[in-house]
Amino acid sequence: MRGLGAAVAILLACMATVAAAGCGLGPGKGLEDVRLTVTRDYGSVPLLSHDVGDVTESDTVMRVLERNADVSTRYGGGFVQAIDGLEAQERFGSSRDWFFYVDGVESTVGAADYPLRGGESVWWDYRDWGAAISVPAVVGSWPQPFAGGYDGRRRPVTVECRGGGAACATVRARLRDAGATVAADAGTSAIRVLVGPWGRLREDPAAAQVEGGPRRSGVFAEFRPTTHGYELDGLGEDGEVARSFGLGAGLVAAVRRGEAPPVWLVSGTDAAGVGAAAELLDETSLHARYAVAVEAGGEEALPIR
Amino acid sequence: MRSPFAYTPRRGPLQSASPGAAVAYLGAFAVVAFAYSSPVVLLAAGVGLVIAGRLAGAGAAVRAALRMGLTLALLIVAVNALVVDRGETVLARLGEWPLLGQINVTAEALAAGAAIGLRAAVVMVAFAVYSACVDPDRVLRALRPLAGRSALTATLVSRLVPVAAADAARLRDAARLRGPGAAPVGRAPLARRLLAGSLDRAVDVAATLELRGYSLAPRRPHPPAAATFFRWKPMKKRCDRVGGWGRSGGRAGVRRRSRYDRRFYAVGAILLAAAIAGKALGADAFSEYPTVAVGLGPATLALSALLLLAGFAPFRRSPVPRVAHPTPRSQTASNSLPARGGI
Repeated sequence: MRGLGAAVAILLACMATVAAAGCGLGPGKGLEDVRLTVTRDYGSVPLLSHDVGDVTESDTVMRVLERNADVSTRYGGGFVQAIDGLEAQERFGSSRDWFFYVDGVESTVGAADYPLRGGESVWWDYRDWGAAISVPAVVGSWPQPFAGGYDGRRRPVTVECRGGGAACATVRARLRDAGATVAADAGTSAIRVLVGPWGRLREDPAAAQVEGGPRRSGVFAEFRPTTHGYELDGLGEDGEVARSFGLGAGLVAAVRRGEAPPVWLVSGTDAAGVGAAAELLDETSLHARYAVAVEAGGEEALPIR
Repeated sequence: MRSPFAYTPRRGPLQSASPGAAVAYLGAFAVVAFAYSSPVVLLAAGVGLVIAGRLAGAGAAVRAALRMGLTLALLIVAVNALVVDRGETVLARLGEWPLLGQINVTAEALAAGAAIGLRAAVVMVAFAVYSACVDPDRVLRALRPLAGRSALTATLVSRLVPVAAADAARLRDAARLRGPGAAPVGRAPLARRLLAGSLDRAVDVAATLELRGYSLAPRRPHPPAAATFFRWKPMKKRCDRVGGWGRSGGRAGVRRRSRYDRRFYAVGAILLAAAIAGKALGADAFSEYPTVAVGLGPATLALSALLLLAGFAPFRRSPVPRVAHPTPRSQTASNSLPARGGI
């Protein structure tokens, strides 16, 4: 009898431990809706975009995708090979694959290993990765990562005004409208937004990655030094200059150094360019885009096609 | 104690058939098991093999293989459920595990594991029936002209399993004979002893095989001194047909082709052709993720039926007893048989 009592006690202790560890039967409780976007060619061709409602705490990025699209996988089901028949390929010097971003941040794990916590913005894009195999952060999930954070954690946002002038106020206002918690100094865990002309922003090590080209920064744009400052060049998918913007050009892009939080750049060739870039901070201008350039009121998604 | 997988000579069709025919027949099942993922087809292949094994008198081998196969299948199901986090139907959330991360057990992962396990079980049954019904000596004789050393190695491997089983039985007997007061011998010490002695035993078996001339090149047949080319050619043809005049394939070792060979070759060929055609026609319709979908189309059902029918290939009609007819032919069939005990 004593043995039976001990066994029951151990069983109850195990069950309590399991319950405390978030275990249980069934898919678990429902979570907030997840926004699922599927595009191709750097977001230029939308394939699927809707809010997924039936998300539970056992869901992963892969599970939500499989529920909403016809998916074939490889490497034991961890990596996506094709979505709705659009298959990854590597031929004739062109390498195309499926990449995904959760809240505007490139994932470092497979889709099957990425658990969802509700409220995320998941973006799958089919693109040529010849010029940039890694694009660590994108702007296309606005208002994420400001509204809900990323990697399951809500994060504060700091706006670093580096000669941005009135544009800094615009940026702060847009972020607050999006639901971000803008703090003056929130330490290293904060998502930084740098606002200012390129001549000032390039002093920041994260922003300076842009000068290393898309292979280093994932941004398909470069600021070319001229006698009177900088001019903005938009790059194509191959990493070559596709269009040169004139004075008053602005850029909104995101970069990331290692595992540090992403850094957003609201920049331009001059004050006018920075102001124009700040005006781009809304869903209409940024949705499903890697980065956006603006000149004389005209937006151009980057890379340029 | 004899291993259930050890070859047992019988007069059944599968045992009488040449090794090539038996391999063609059983190999066709194995090919289907490897090529198909559909549980319906795999189940049909398994049932077909069980029928074939029982008809061939290899019931013990089939039972042992099923035990081992189903145990392995259970293991595969458990491992697959833990390592694969795919599928729509989450049955249980087991939290974060070291190395494995978040574990969610899904019905689809269980089904996928079951399909893989079923495949393993079917292949094991096929090899069990082969092991119990196909004479390894005949396999060696068939292979020796092609690759003598490989044949010797294969024979050594195939002979070592029953030798190890016999050794294990002897060790167990010896342990029992120590008397009731002796400590019981567990499986681990027994396995350790067998493993430690396996090299010596392999050398023993190899030496025995060597003495029996397994490693020698087959002796070339010598034409009769007076034979002309034209007389020799048909003789050579006949010699090739019966396995040559070598040491083990000479006249003393001549074994005529079994009358069942054609049947097994034909069934094997039909199964392979049907498997290839079935693949083209979508008989392997099965997807595990995100939800389990098992195809039950005409091609799947036809192939499954064929696999079940193929299991009856080793069937042999009971021979009609030849009895003396002491009564006149005019009597009816019902009273023509001798009375019980009247012979």
